[in-house]
Amino acid sequence: MGAEGVREVHGVGEVRPFPYLLLPSLWASRNRITRRERGDLTRAMLFGSIGLAVIGVIGWGAYWVTSQLEFYAELGDYLIRLGLSWLFLTFLSFLAFSSIVTSLSTFFLSDDLRLLLVAPIDRRRLFHARFARTLGQAGWMVVVFLTPVLAGIGIARSAPLVFYVAAVMAVVPFVMIPVALGSLITLGLVNVFPARRAREVLMLMGLVFATSLVLLLRFIQPERLLRVESMPEVTAFFSTLQSPITPLLPSFWAGETLFASLQGGWDPLHALALWTTALATVAIAAGLFEQWHFAGFSKSQEARKVRFARWPLIDWAVTRLPLGPVRRQLLVKDLKVFLRDVSQWSQLLLLLALVLVYLYNFRVLDLERIPGMGRVLKNLYAFLNLGMAGFVMATVAVRFVFPLVSSEGAAFWIIRTAPIKMRDFLWSKFWTGLVPVLLLSECLTIVGNEFLGVDPFLKRVAAVTIVFMTFALVGLATGLGARYPRFAADNATQVAGSYGGVAFMILAVLFVIVTIALVGWPSSVYLAQQLRVAPMSTSRAVMMNACFGAAAILSIATFWLGMRSGVQALEEMDRTPS
Amino acid sequence: MIAVTDLVKQYGSLTAVDRVTLDVQPGQIHGFLGPNGAGKTTTIRMIAGLLKPTAGRILVNGHDLATEPDRAKASLGFIPDRPFVYEKLTAGEFLRFHGGLYGLESAAVDERITEMLELFELTRWRDELVESFSHGMKQRLVMGSAFMHRPRAVLVDEPMVGLDPRGARLIKDVFRRMAERGVAILMSTHTLEVAQEMCDRVSIILKGRIIASGTVDEVRRMSGNSDEQLTAVFLKLTGGSGLQEIDEVL
Repeated sequence: MGAEGVREVHGVGEVRPFPYLLLPSLWASRNRITRRERGDLTRAMLFGSIGLAVIGVIGWGAYWVTSQLEFYAELGDYLIRLGLSWLFLTFLSFLAFSSIVTSLSTFFLSDDLRLLLVAPIDRRRLFHARFARTLGQAGWMVVVFLTPVLAGIGIARSAPLVFYVAAVMAVVPFVMIPVALGSLITLGLVNVFPARRAREVLMLMGLVFATSLVLLLRFIQPERLLRVESMPEVTAFFSTLQSPITPLLPSFWAGETLFASLQGGWDPLHALALWTTALATVAIAAGLFEQWHFAGFSKSQEARKVRFARWPLIDWAVTRLPLGPVRRQLLVKDLKVFLRDVSQWSQLLLLLALVLVYLYNFRVLDLERIPGMGRVLKNLYAFLNLGMAGFVMATVAVRFVFPLVSSEGAAFWIIRTAPIKMRDFLWSKFWTGLVPVLLLSECLTIVGNEFLGVDPFLKRVAAVTIVFMTFALVGLATGLGARYPRFAADNATQVAGSYGGVAFMILAVLFVIVTIALVGWPSSVYLAQQLRVAPMSTSRAVMMNACFGAAAILSIATFWLGMRSGVQALEEMDRTPS
Repeated sequence: MIAVTDLVKQYGSLTAVDRVTLDVQPGQIHGFLGPNGAGKTTTIRMIAGLLKPTAGRILVNGHDLATEPDRAKASLGFIPDRPFVYEKLTAGEFLRFHGGLYGLESAAVDERITEMLELFELTRWRDELVESFSHGMKQRLVMGSAFMHRPRAVLVDEPMVGLDPRGARLIKDVFRRMAERGVAILMSTHTLEVAQEMCDRVSIILKGRIIASGTVDEVRRMSGNSDEQLTAVFLKLTGGSGLQEIDEVL
C-alpha cells in the first residue's frame, strides 16, 4: 500500500463532464464486440440482416407512397404534411410512455446507481448522464424507424440538403421533450407513491395508454377512407385528424419544420418552438431531479409490500386443479412471480391493445363492396388471419414461454436439489405457457373469422389448426428454452434475444409457413369444389386428408421433439447457476 | 472521522433505526454488531448516502452528508455486502472508472490501479471480464475500488462473506494497516471472532437501537462476565441463545 494512505482529500478532485459516467456502457459494448460468445456473430448477422431488410422495406414504402402522392399536386402535399404530423404524433405517444418506463429503471432501479450514488458526483452531472441514457434507450427505436421514412420521403421528392439537416434538427428535440416529461412524471410517481409501488402505478398507466390507443383509432375511424366514392367523407376524415390541440404539440412542430424544408424553405418558428421547449423541459427536469431524486431513490430502496400482489385467488384456484403437490407449487410460484413482475406483464397490456386494434381492423373491413370478390377475399383473409395468429403466437412464445426456464435464474439450484423429476418441472412450465397462449390465439382466430364472416368450414379448420399450432409452438419454446437457458440474464427480453431464442423464432416461422401451406391447399380445394357444386374425386379427397394429417403430424412432432429435447438437456445439465 | 448523531430511519410506522449515535475516530476500527434485521445495513447505507435519513446528522471528515454530500463522499470508501460490479468491464477498466468518479488525475490512475490489483492479488486478472470472477474475487475488486481514492473513512458491510481463509486474512491485514495510517473504519459484521480480533470498539444494535457500545472489554463487563467470549456476550445482550426453543421444536 502506498505510504500516503491517508493523503488529505481536497474537494472532490478533477471533475469530469457527465459523459464520463456513460463510459462503462461504451466499454462494455466494446468488450462485447471484441470478446464474442458462441453464436454472437450468427445472431448479430441474422438480426442485422432482418433489421436492414425491415429498414429497407420501410424506406421503400415511404418512397413509394410519397411518389404516388405527387400525382395529386396540392392534395398530395397536404397529405404528406398531415402524414408527417401524424407520424410524429404516434411516436410522441410511444415515447411518452416508454420514457416513463425507461426512466424508472435508469434513474431509480438500476444496480449501478448504488455505485454512483456513494461517489462524490454532482447531482446535475448524474442527471445529465442518466438522462442521456434514458434518451438513448427510449428513443433509439423511434430514430431507427424515422430515418428510413424520412429518407424515403426525401429521395422521392428530391429534397434539398436542408431537409436532411432539418430532419436531424427536428428529431433530436422532438425525442428530448417526451423523454424529459416522462422522466419528470416518474420522479413525481416515485416520490409520491411509497417504495416500489410506483411500478404498479406504471402498470395502470400502461393500461390507460393501451386503452387510449384503441379509443383513438376507434375515434378517427380510418375505415372511412376505404369508401372513396364519397369525397366529402374523406375531407371530413382529415378534418377529424386536425384537432384544435394538434398545433400545440411537438409532433406538429416537427412535422411543419420538416414539411417546410421539404419544399426547400425553412420554418424557424416551429424549429425554435421545438428547441426552446426541449431545452426548457430538460432544464426544469434537471432542477427538479437535483431537488427530489435522492428522496425518490431512497424510497425505491425500501422493500415492497405484497399487499396488492398477494393473489390469494391463485392459491384458491390452483388447489382445485387436479395436480400433484409438486406441480401445484411450481405453478403457484410461476404465476405469482410473473404477476408480481410488472416488467413482465405490463408488456401483455400493450400486446392486448395491439390485438384489439388487429381485431378491430377485421371488424371494419368492408369486403362486400368489391363486386364478386367478397367471398374469395374473406376466405383469403381467413388464412391471413391464421398466419398472423401463428406469428403473433411465435412472438408471444419467444417473449413469455421461451424464458420460463431461464427465469429460475440463480434460484435454479432449488429445483435441481429438490426431489423433482426434470420432466415434471418442464411440463409445469409447458402448461403455464400453454393456457394463456392458447386463449390468445384462439380468441384472435375465432373472433377475427367471425368479424370477417368466413365460410363455416374454414372457421372450424382454423379453430382446430390453431390448437395444434399452439401445442407445437409452446412445446418448442419450452423445450428450446430449457436447452438454451440463460440463467444469468437480467430480464426476459435478453433471454428472448439469445442464441436459442433466435433459433426458436426461425423454426417457429418455418413451422407456421409450412402448416399454413398444408392446411391452406386442401381448404381452398374444398371451397372451390363447393362453388362448382360438383362431387369431389376420391384422389382429391385422399390428398386433402393427407395434407390435414401431415399438418397434424408436423405439429405433434414439433411439440414432442421440442419437449423431449428440453427434458434431455435439463437431465444432462452439468452445471447449475449459483 | 465518522460522526453520526441521533440517526433515525422510519419506513411508515416501522422505525428501522432509532436515534443511533456513533463516533468513529481516525485510526479506529469500529465493529457494528447486531442480529439480522437489527438495522446495521440501514445505518451503513444512510452513512454511505444511499438512503435518506428520516432524522439525524451524519458528518464524514467534518463534512455534513446532507449539505456537502460531494465532499463527505469524497472522503469515504464504501464496501457493500452485495457489491455491484459492471460484469462486462475488466478489473482494470472497473478500477479506472471508479478512480475517475472520485476525481483521480488520469496520470496517477494507472499506478494506483496496479497498486490496488497487487494488494488484492488480482494482478493477473487485470484484463479479464468481471463476469468470470468468483464471488471472493469480486469482493476483493470492490475493496480495491473502495481504497483507490485513499479515503479517510471506510464503511464495510459484512466484509468476510464469501472470502476464503487467505482472502479473509488479507482483508484483515489491509484494514489493520489502513487503520494504522489513520483511516477510520466502521465495519458491520456477523462474524464475532473477526470483531473480537480486529475492532478497537464495538457497538451492538438491536431493533434499531444501540444497546451497548465501548471497547470489547467494556462490552464484556456490561454483560456481567468479563471473561466470556464476544459470542456469548452478544447472545446474552441480544436475547439469549434460543437453544431452549430449538429443543422444543426438535
